[in-house]
Amino acid sequence: MSIIDNTNFAETLKFWPRHNEALYRRLESKHSWVEGSRNPDGSHLDPLENEMILNIGPQHPATHGVLRCVVKLDGETIEQCVLDIGYLHRGIEKIAENKTYQEFMPYTDRMDYLSPYSNNVAWCLAVEKLAGIEVPERAQWIRMMMSEIARISSHLIWMGVGLMDAGAVSMFLWTFQAREDIYSIFDEVAGARLTVSHSRIGGVASDLNEAGISLIKNFVADFPSVLEGWEKLLNRNRIWIDRNVGIGQLSAEDVVRMGMTGPNLRGSGVAHDIRRFEPYLKYNEVDFQIPIPTEGDALARYFVRLDEMKESIKIINQCLDKLPSVKGPVRTNDAKRSYPSKSEVFYSMEGLIHDFMYTDTGIAPPKGASAYHAIEAPKGELGFYLQSDGTGSPWRAKMNSPSFTNLQALETMMEGGMMGDMVVLIGTIDPVLGEADK
Amino acid sequence: MSEKTTNAHKAPKTLPFDFVPQEAETAVKNNPHAKATTEVDDVLDALSSQFGDAVLERSVYAGERTALVALKSVQDICQWLKNEQGFTYLADLGGADRFTEDDRYEVFYNLVSIEKGKRLRLMVRVDEESMTVPSVCSVFPAANWNEREAWDMFGLRFEGHPDLRRMFMPEDFEYHPLRKEFPLLGIPGSMPLPPQVPTGELTGDPYPAAHGSKTPKSYQEVESEDEA
Repeated sequence: MSIIDNTNFAETLKFWPRHNEALYRRLESKHSWVEGSRNPDGSHLDPLENEMILNIGPQHPATHGVLRCVVKLDGETIEQCVLDIGYLHRGIEKIAENKTYQEFMPYTDRMDYLSPYSNNVAWCLAVEKLAGIEVPERAQWIRMMMSEIARISSHLIWMGVGLMDAGAVSMFLWTFQAREDIYSIFDEVAGARLTVSHSRIGGVASDLNEAGISLIKNFVADFPSVLEGWEKLLNRNRIWIDRNVGIGQLSAEDVVRMGMTGPNLRGSGVAHDIRRFEPYLKYNEVDFQIPIPTEGDALARYFVRLDEMKESIKIINQCLDKLPSVKGPVRTNDAKRSYPSKSEVFYSMEGLIHDFMYTDTGIAPPKGASAYHAIEAPKGELGFYLQSDGTGSPWRAKMNSPSFTNLQALETMMEGGMMGDMVVLIGTIDPVLGEADK
Repeated sequence: MSEKTTNAHKAPKTLPFDFVPQEAETAVKNNPHAKATTEVDDVLDALSSQFGDAVLERSVYAGERTALVALKSVQDICQWLKNEQGFTYLADLGGADRFTEDDRYEVFYNLVSIEKGKRLRLMVRVDEESMTVPSVCSVFPAANWNEREAWDMFGLRFEGHPDLRRMFMPEDFEYHPLRKEFPLLGIPGSMPLPPQVPTGELTGDPYPAAHGSKTPKSYQEVESEDEA
């Protein structure tokens, strides 16, 4: 007696009948993790423990976007779970193949829209590696500092939304207050609050001004005490700990096997962080710790992200100390490889021509070249694998997005868990569907 | 000499797309973004001596080592790299369309050894005739969704995959959109879309206005004087 046998998908469903049928077939064919909940003759032990198939999402606020979870419940236990993603699929890799390298950069803002700055940097670094473009020191420090601010802002959203899922709405408002400060910084530095698009191939669009620097200084001065207050509220909070401890537990072997990345990988005690593994920008010149607890449950992942925010503050402080001594341009001074400055464009013919050429064709990496560059985005390893055909747009641009990689493990984490823990588990993975769906 | 001149005379004058700009040399050799993790010549040497002819080609670009390996032995090579060389972590897997006559598609495997701090890329090529690749899910369970994505986007069938469904597009969709011949605007009628008025029928064309049909409206527009 299964749902597939007595459902005529073609008649019941107006949309995508074949897709839904495949999804339910997968659910039926999955090996069950939960055993012993039935009598030997197949009848249920308890009438309350009726099996039930529940669709959560794609339009459910707790799924953090358009994630659809089809779960088979036995009472309150999740027996089997199938995830369905793709509701936000925009074909961003196809778009990249039809844009110049610089033209595609603003699209990366829309992937992981909780930390747009890191995405810009990841894309520009990948193109710079492909074309062999050197980035001026000052631009590297600015990029690094702003990426760390983006990391804090992304972790703030995770924290606020994660706690709201667990029932603490006030926390959500407080984290958004802190995020508002970060938005003001981005507004001052890049000219936009959310879709910053500040990074350019070969550097950044503009240098920091005094107002921007003082905003950042104020933020790093105030934020640690705010964080301390939250820690006082949460670290020994009975409700928060009970909701998280032992939930979604994964061993170190499991996370490596399933290819998880970022805080989810480190929460299980695997010391892998791209900032240390293959240092990019100036990460080998700053002093910071990478928290690696070994418990592997949702609580461990909470502490990883909390401590990462403190380490980010440390890095930002070091950047602020370093910036006055690193003078120089913020973009490669070569108009064939990077945009010329606006003063050149407005007041010289060559500048105007180069600006036009860069917008029209842009950088053309050698034919047949291919390169992969990854950064440690707030959610994990964000990498771009680019193949060039010698023209101004990539032949193939493959995005290795951390949310996609992490979501894969969510099915395993959910199976055998409780229905009420589902939202906590989605929160602990911290997926952004804009990135997972490409 | 004379033969060459006649050939050059006959050849149509096309834009030289194989023009290599000057920065090509820096990009290949002294790449400022090259990482120490991708120096894996010792692993590739061991791979060549272990598998012999299965390693077809080795290339270096920006310090990154890529080994083109034979399609049929990719599973064994992955198993060997995982067990003997410590490449336990699959960071990325994906397909690409080369749009050539032979060996049109390729699949790359981005393998990482966390203990040794190394990164390596394997590459296999697949002919349009067969379109089948041995799945590495049994070696790296992390490959599951990436292989589904490659199936969805390029139509590459991964043999031995436990659950080869489309990743992003619905099963009702009949095309593989990242292939080079798939148009950027999409194929009209390939996806059922919601009706444009509450009581209407499903529409098939995602871009009705672009293909000459008028969007049905739930209200009557006042005709402008210009039209009359």
